[in-house]
Amino acid sequence: MLASFSLHLFWDALSSRPFWRGALLAIEITVVSFVVSIVIGFFLALGRSSRSRAVRGGVFLYTWIFRATPTLLQLLFIWDALPQIWPTFRHSWFTPFLAAAIALSLNEAAYMAEIIRSGLLSVDPGQELAGRALGMPRRRILRRIIVPQAVRIVIPPMGNEFITLLKLTSLASVISVTELLTAAQDYYSTTFSYTEAFAAAALYYLVIVSVLMLVQSRIERRFTFTSRTRKRTAAAPAVPAISHDAR
Amino acid sequence: MSVLRAYDVTKWYGDLEVLRGVTFEVEPGQVKVIIGPSGSGKSTLLRCLALLEEPDRGEVSLEGRRPQPGEVGMVFQRFNLFQNMTALQNVMCGLVEVRRLSKKDAREQAIEFLTRVGLADRASQYPDELSGGQQQRVAIARALVMRPKAMLFDEPTSALDVELVREVLDVMESLAREGMTMVVVSHELRFAHHVASSVLMMDEGRIVEEAPPDEFFASPKEERTKRFLSLVE
Repeated sequence: MLASFSLHLFWDALSSRPFWRGALLAIEITVVSFVVSIVIGFFLALGRSSRSRAVRGGVFLYTWIFRATPTLLQLLFIWDALPQIWPTFRHSWFTPFLAAAIALSLNEAAYMAEIIRSGLLSVDPGQELAGRALGMPRRRILRRIIVPQAVRIVIPPMGNEFITLLKLTSLASVISVTELLTAAQDYYSTTFSYTEAFAAAALYYLVIVSVLMLVQSRIERRFTFTSRTRKRTAAAPAVPAISHDAR
Repeated sequence: MSVLRAYDVTKWYGDLEVLRGVTFEVEPGQVKVIIGPSGSGKSTLLRCLALLEEPDRGEVSLEGRRPQPGEVGMVFQRFNLFQNMTALQNVMCGLVEVRRLSKKDAREQAIEFLTRVGLADRASQYPDELSGGQQQRVAIARALVMRPKAMLFDEPTSALDVELVREVLDVMESLAREGMTMVVVSHELRFAHHVASSVLMMDEGRIVEEAPPDEFFASPKEERTKRFLSLVE
């Protein structure tokens, strides 16, 4: 059954330059989009509880648009349509890499906003009250007290988002970003060894996600506020299940 | 001359008038204990005094002016220690973030105040690892380290298991003896009896009665007070 699987070709694909370059590119796009989406998502989260109706409306509109349309459509829109409406994007600095990073950042921010918002809301209001009683300005309370406590709550769902982003980078193959999937396609188009090509790409994804899971558990421990080494049972609250299939 | 003064303080929550023009003052070193049924406006009054709530009408003054951040210390029913900080960091927080002291100076003072509430040996523990009584004592140290002109206590022992109440009341008593000006919302009537300069009865957003503790408990004048005391005792 496995007669057609060639370890040699598999290894050849795995160790080839396009594959590890592709993996690196996927990681780069993921990390950039992840960081940018947290920043945008943070402000969207604050905006949702703003006193201004216009701000709240704007946040709603943003979330609505980016969650209700397919990520692939958003990606193609930014790469192909944006330069048509906005000539600035017709210059050579607007690379496929940049287009992918922008599209994924904007898309992901809509999801991050919800995660960050629920994280901030999960912090006991008494914490803010105590900060104000000491005379701390609101920004300081947010930075020193509320955000560090919210981090603990948002790590598990954010880990999920990171994985989702990593997988979404494969969409960038359609706008000629030479990420992992492109590497696999290029490989089988010359050798016709589909199995080996896809298996090699899959292995890269598996390894990246495994490393991420390790890093995540490290960060979780860092933000668990006990002086003793923490008990594994006192783990994170249940991760809200968000279906990513439709993205 | 009063230290802390509330004049005609009125507060609405939507359609509900929680405080109906409360006027009262506290002289230096006085301890005022406020009692009253839930929803009578006690906590709201304290929050107005601590500037956590802005009165809709009337004003709060400290030594004749508006209190500055940290000048009025507040202790909460549920302690509200910062969960992401150790006991020591909790006490240092106001000094570092508000008073802009160096970490070193803040640490020195924080340890001094933790020692005062008998918790120097718990400095590096997080709130989760402390008993309720210990948490409340850290919370008192956190407020005291700012050298407030007055301290407000909002039912400081009602969230505690009975056997932990004493240690918190002891700290409060010693504070009172040292001459701290205090306003305490509490139903610890023995504490009120021993420590208070005067006891106030609040009901429906008003102060119904105020008298020195002996008089207040032995011969309350108002019907409301009598009824409430008979329920509490």
